[in-house]
Amino acid sequence: MATPSITKNMITLTIDGKTAKVPKGTLVIEAARQVGVMVPHFCYHPKLSPDANCRMCLVEIEKMPRLQTSCSTPVAEGMVVKSASSAQAQEARKSVLDFILANHPLDCPVCDQGGRCDLQDFSHEYTATTSRFKELKRVFQKEYFSPLIETQMNRCVQCLRCVRYCDQVMDVKALAPVGRGTLTEIKSFGAHDLDCEFCGGCIQICPVGAITSRLSMYEFRPWMLKRTDSVCGYCGDGCQITFQTKDNALIEINSTQGAGRNNGDLCARGYFGYHVSEHPDRLTSPLIRDGQAFKAVQWEEALEFVGQRLLDIKAKYGPDAIGGLISGRCTNEDVYVFQKFMRVVVGTNRIDSSVRYGHLNGVHAMQRVQGTHRWAVSFDDIEAADTLLLVGTNITETNPITGLKVKEAVKRRGAKLITIEALVPAIGSLSNISNLAQHHFAVKPTAYAAAILGLLKAVVDQQILDVELQVKAQSYFNDITANLQALSWEAIHAQTGMDSDSYAQAAQVFGQGQKVIILVGPGVLRSQGGFGMTMNLLDLLLLTGKLTKPGCGLAPLAEENNDQGAFEMGGIGAVLPGGTSLGDAEAREALSQSWGRPLPDTAGSSLPQMIEDAKQGKLKALLVVGENPLASLPPSSGIHTALEKLEFLVCQELFLTETAQQAHVVLPACSYAEKDGTFTNTEGHIQLVRSAIDLVGDSRPDWEIFSALSVMMNDPMEYGDVKEIGKEIRNLLPGTRTLGLAPLPAQPDATAIARYVTADYQRDVATRYQLPAIDSPDAADYLTLQVSQSLFHSGKFSRKAKGLLQVEAKGKIYLHPEEASRRGLSDGDTVKVSNALGDVMAPVGIRERIPQGVAVFPEHFDEEIRRLLPYTVDPETQVPSCKVTRVRLEKVSGA
Amino acid sequence: MSQYEKILLKNMEQPGYTGSLAEYEQAGGYQAFRKVVKDMQPDQVIEEVKKSGLRGRGGAGFPTGVKWGFIPKDHPGPKYLCCNADESEPGTFKDRQLMERDPHQMLEGMAITCFAIGAETAYIYIRGEFRLGASILEKAIHEANAGGYLGENVLGSGRTIKVYVHAGAGAYICGEETALLESLEGKRGMPRFKPPFPATHGLYQKPTVVNNVETMANIPHIINRGGQWFAGIGSPPKSCGTRVFCLSGHVKRPGNYEVPMGIPFREFIYDIGGGMRSDKPIKAFIPGGASAPFLTPEHLDVKMDFEAVAMAGSMLGSGGVTVMEEGTSMVWAALRLMEFFYHESCGKCTPCREGSSWLVQTIQRIWNKQGRDGDIELLSDLCKNIAGRTVCAFGEAEVGPIQSTIKYFRHEYEALICEAQATMPRNKEIPMLTL
Amino acid sequence: MLLTKFKKEVEDILSRYPVKRSALLPLLNLAQREEGFVSEPAMRDIAKVLELTPPQVFETVTFYTMFNLKPIGKFHLQVCKSLMCALVKSDEVVTWITKKLNIAPGQTTPDKTFTLSVVECLGSCGTGPMMQVNDDYYEQLTEEKVGRVLDDLARDGNCPLKSGPFMYPLPVAKP
Ligand SMILES: Cc1cc2nc3c(=O)[nH]c(=O)nc-3n(C[C@H](O)[C@H](O)[C@H](O)COP(=O)(O)O)c2cc1C
Ligand code: SF4
Ligand code: FES
Repeated sequence: MATPSITKNMITLTIDGKTAKVPKGTLVIEAARQVGVMVPHFCYHPKLSPDANCRMCLVEIEKMPRLQTSCSTPVAEGMVVKSASSAQAQEARKSVLDFILANHPLDCPVCDQGGRCDLQDFSHEYTATTSRFKELKRVFQKEYFSPLIETQMNRCVQCLRCVRYCDQVMDVKALAPVGRGTLTEIKSFGAHDLDCEFCGGCIQICPVGAITSRLSMYEFRPWMLKRTDSVCGYCGDGCQITFQTKDNALIEINSTQGAGRNNGDLCARGYFGYHVSEHPDRLTSPLIRDGQAFKAVQWEEALEFVGQRLLDIKAKYGPDAIGGLISGRCTNEDVYVFQKFMRVVVGTNRIDSSVRYGHLNGVHAMQRVQGTHRWAVSFDDIEAADTLLLVGTNITETNPITGLKVKEAVKRRGAKLITIEALVPAIGSLSNISNLAQHHFAVKPTAYAAAILGLLKAVVDQQILDVELQVKAQSYFNDITANLQALSWEAIHAQTGMDSDSYAQAAQVFGQGQKVIILVGPGVLRSQGGFGMTMNLLDLLLLTGKLTKPGCGLAPLAEENNDQGAFEMGGIGAVLPGGTSLGDAEAREALSQSWGRPLPDTAGSSLPQMIEDAKQGKLKALLVVGENPLASLPPSSGIHTALEKLEFLVCQELFLTETAQQAHVVLPACSYAEKDGTFTNTEGHIQLVRSAIDLVGDSRPDWEIFSALSVMMNDPMEYGDVKEIGKEIRNLLPGTRTLGLAPLPAQPDATAIARYVTADYQRDVATRYQLPAIDSPDAADYLTLQVSQSLFHSGKFSRKAKGLLQVEAKGKIYLHPEEASRRGLSDGDTVKVSNALGDVMAPVGIRERIPQGVAVFPEHFDEEIRRLLPYTVDPETQVPSCKVTRVRLEKVSGA
Repeated sequence: MSQYEKILLKNMEQPGYTGSLAEYEQAGGYQAFRKVVKDMQPDQVIEEVKKSGLRGRGGAGFPTGVKWGFIPKDHPGPKYLCCNADESEPGTFKDRQLMERDPHQMLEGMAITCFAIGAETAYIYIRGEFRLGASILEKAIHEANAGGYLGENVLGSGRTIKVYVHAGAGAYICGEETALLESLEGKRGMPRFKPPFPATHGLYQKPTVVNNVETMANIPHIINRGGQWFAGIGSPPKSCGTRVFCLSGHVKRPGNYEVPMGIPFREFIYDIGGGMRSDKPIKAFIPGGASAPFLTPEHLDVKMDFEAVAMAGSMLGSGGVTVMEEGTSMVWAALRLMEFFYHESCGKCTPCREGSSWLVQTIQRIWNKQGRDGDIELLSDLCKNIAGRTVCAFGEAEVGPIQSTIKYFRHEYEALICEAQATMPRNKEIPMLTL
Repeated sequence: MLLTKFKKEVEDILSRYPVKRSALLPLLNLAQREEGFVSEPAMRDIAKVLELTPPQVFETVTFYTMFNLKPIGKFHLQVCKSLMCALVKSDEVVTWITKKLNIAPGQTTPDKTFTLSVVECLGSCGTGPMMQVNDDYYEQLTEEKVGRVLDDLARDGNCPLKSGPFMYPLPVAKP
């Protein structure tokens, strides 16, 4: 049954004799598409506001004088449109092509777009075989554009799609149409190289071959490429990508407009980072330690060796002497088989995964307050939100595509944005989400907790509260209110530098929102007290009555591509597949039924605990799958000692990482480009991963290795292929059946909320509602150092991607220009960075968006600087945090 | 000289008149604005202007009162007035005189307009080259602010009317009203497609009126003497009032002349402009700026009003009349104008951008005696494919000179091509494959 | 930095517009008046003040022909070549200047005093041939007049022959 408002807003028109019924406001070109009439066009793109510059989409519309551009004309009731059926329109299109081709070099034989070029296609459709243009063609001098992107401006049709995309979608504004008239060309600034986010969007959106990728230049003709639709392996956003391969080589990646959660948009990692899989350093055969070195062996030998050693250790010390750690980069199927292997073949719940590094704080908080382990909102809700609060997330760099949803909401749909984030608004070569904020709380990385409390306090001060809940959950309200009232604005101001007025204003905006979403990033999730802060943000939603409202909710941003899936597959010792707790009798029963074996009774243990146990000799063997704890944790965590103490360390890896170098056995696994399975993105959407190239060397999918090991250990878990695993998972966990176009977000669970507001909140309310003790006001020469994610890398993994290294090849300690000049430092200087934990050398970089008093270093290059990082573990969630410290700088040498 | 009553040029033609506020006031200046503020409602002002039949003097000739009437009345946010002082149409130089010699006349018009449409802020978009004009206007605005005519609480009415001068930087297209708005927003001056029209989505997407300098200058007189009076001047009902026509080219007395619309070109060129400057007879004239198609001596009796000129196949446009004597090559004249249009095409629309470069190269070739058979047809075809297929009216403008010179002086093109073919045949192209 | 030097002027310009970017052309004009051309540092400074990226400033600068991206001579001689001036022999003005200063259009004299450009219509079609020199118009040029203008400028940096406030024809005093 159509609701009246919908029928009222529907418009009927005819296009080339076909009847179209479309919502009011639809453009004629889109209405035409819907009834199968393809109007040729260059400058129109559904993502961009119409510019109507190419004049290719002209149509005849009855009762309108002259031809109209269908890309800029909205439909009207009873409109009669003629496209292909209008001789006049066809004639006009022909002439537009004639005009474009006049100055076009017609170098199709050497153009990477040849074969998938709009200009070729339309020319084929419309133009005569000869041109009457006999004059000199304009020729632009070839100029170096950038390391990854190439321009060939002679081919440009000046539709400005690239420029508009860079501005309207990415908010980067790095491309400039330079000059006027026919001499206009797309450039960067002056004669400088392009300096931007390198999202590849301009390449993808160019209808001709004017902007192409340098990484694959001249290597292919499009019709030689084999397409494989899959999912990006770099971050939690889970973008749809299409691998384009030729003879088993990865040639390029693109993404299809209209497909995937990213709707065709990508970031630099997704677009240019695909060479990791083909890196020459890839491990191609199993390795067994032979003194200081490794020797390459056959799979049988390696598996037998590992199986036997594990059996021996299990026999000697019991199953809990063996632990396992798996990466959130692995597929759901990998994680599922892994944990099953650990639980039933080894017989232990000593399982952990990279969810532990931060995302778990968000998941556990959601579980505790609203009874879900997934977001109760989706990307679509973010786009539709009217109010967004971003906390501790430099979203462009951590979750760029979720960031685009935020930009869409703010820039195009007028949503209000509040940001609490260390980075300050500043225009640079990367988009900066706080530039778009109405209210920005530029607080130090250590003061997020105080800022969140400030917002809560303002909400209470101004009574922006849910009256109904107030009645139902009096003590919850009263306790929190009392705690907040005990906090002084002076103290909050002292930590955050923001006064009560600012909080009051932001609280008003937050309170007025009807569709309010809070996005939480690594600044909160990975930091000390991250769990408490996330809880408090859920309280904020609850108190203001927004937690259960449709379109509202909390969205913790997953860092790795399958962090969410790793959790849901039981990649956490204390959690069973499906996200229920290890103690859940019903779930245990169902699992042991299905697996045909009992589940171990011991408690699960986390990575920090395993480190402790290894140090104490209680953990003897560790199976590390795709993880590299030596590179993820600082020495202060004790990981070095722990690994040294192990009797047996096995790594399943693509490369000989720091951790793998310590291993007794290294088993070559395959990358996401070579395997099938599924990833679950940050919003809980499960998507298909498909192999695009053959397995590299002798590498194997991780699940296959566990399966083979189980056979060796006389407890076979055999699977013919990934599909079988998937089936088993889906049978077991109905919640994983959401493969489809869009995720259905989880619903907050009323019982869980009731439990939380009646009693459960009391457990830690006093601690959560206290200002954390932070270091005494920084002595003048100390800086707060934050080690964080860069847009151009993902973990240490992407450092094997040659494209990304072209943009960022090393770490620098980034400072605000004034901070640097005050310290007599300039770009490229070398400084000694030191604190109580030691000192390291680092080059200086300058960035406007770094606040004064803060230094930022990309975690991907932290092998040295990591030594300065302290390490703490959250008592409740066991999440380690080690990303912030205080350092002093001393100039060693000039640039 | 001209026996017609001057309206716009009256003050400045008084000996010693400098255009200062004091002198303007002495000549009756700002009485209209006082009247508007004291005795009139915005709607009444708009009505009066509608009644006057005033049509825009910038080129398109849109009825001014009607344009004002499109501004939404109850729009909550700001509204803007932009005075188009970009005057870049070759052959036109009247706005410069109106601004430099009697700036308060247009400022008063602007103040009244702001009152009528409910705008608090107005910008004068003046072409960047007019440095002197800009400084004169700045000074006049300063005076008017001090005199209480502009600024806060104008004439004690509680209303604010702020006027600012905004200088362009060399781009003819910024005279097109939407390009002007883009430029005023600090962007490349590329026209916007319409609808939406500036009246609802103009400067900063707010309701905006764009009016030419001369249009503005007429307003105080309409208010002072009534729409009725104005509608009786010139060639009613469609072409009311006087216009300041600009005369240039091969005439004895080039310059700006204010005459009622509807006098014949012959009178304007010969009686007022003193006729041809040498004994050579007139060969052709442009009736309304570079965008207007050429006319020939047989059109000398056409009346200088919107309809008559349109009937004759051209347009009154910006009011720039350029006269060419016998002996002037029409191919050359078209080429000079085409070079201008090629240089000024903003590059947004494919037909205009590519067409202008194709056209200019082709005419250049013909002029340089390298024409080919078929070039004339090619030119006509290109023109046909540009006009009516672009975002702004520049597309029509740029083809006018070519189409009209081909229409009236085709033999000159043919002669050049013939000569080229005779001296250096160029029709031997690479043979075409025929199946 | 240019904009600190003209702080008051910049603030005044900014105060005129509700949207910062609108101040772009005025600030570029200011920069060019100061330096004679629009330099990269100036564009970067302006970008910062207006919260734009440098490419956004650059794209705008290159659209408008009055902005020079490179230093030019002290006096920029711009001769109009559009039809109306051409009818009254503006091409000869270019020849006269070329002869006198020994520079072709687009060139600058070795002493960096004069740069010659040929430009499109400057809005004084009735008083052509004409040229603009920096801020000033010189109209109804003859060879002799051009000579005087160039001499005066070279010598005094100024020339009384410039026109304005514009009115043509001048009214004849009533008897
Ligand atoms: C290419 C082009 C150039 C124009 N140049 C000018 C100009 O220099 N001055 C002007 O007043 N109007 C110019 N116009 C007309 C304006 O678009 C607009 O019609 C006018 O400013 C409206 O004011 P009016 O109604 O008072 O004439 C131009 C139009 C076009 C299409
Ligand atoms: S017609 Fe020409 S000048 Fe007008 S918008 Fe199109 S390209 Fe620009
Ligand atoms: S697609 Fe409509 S004008 Fe380009």
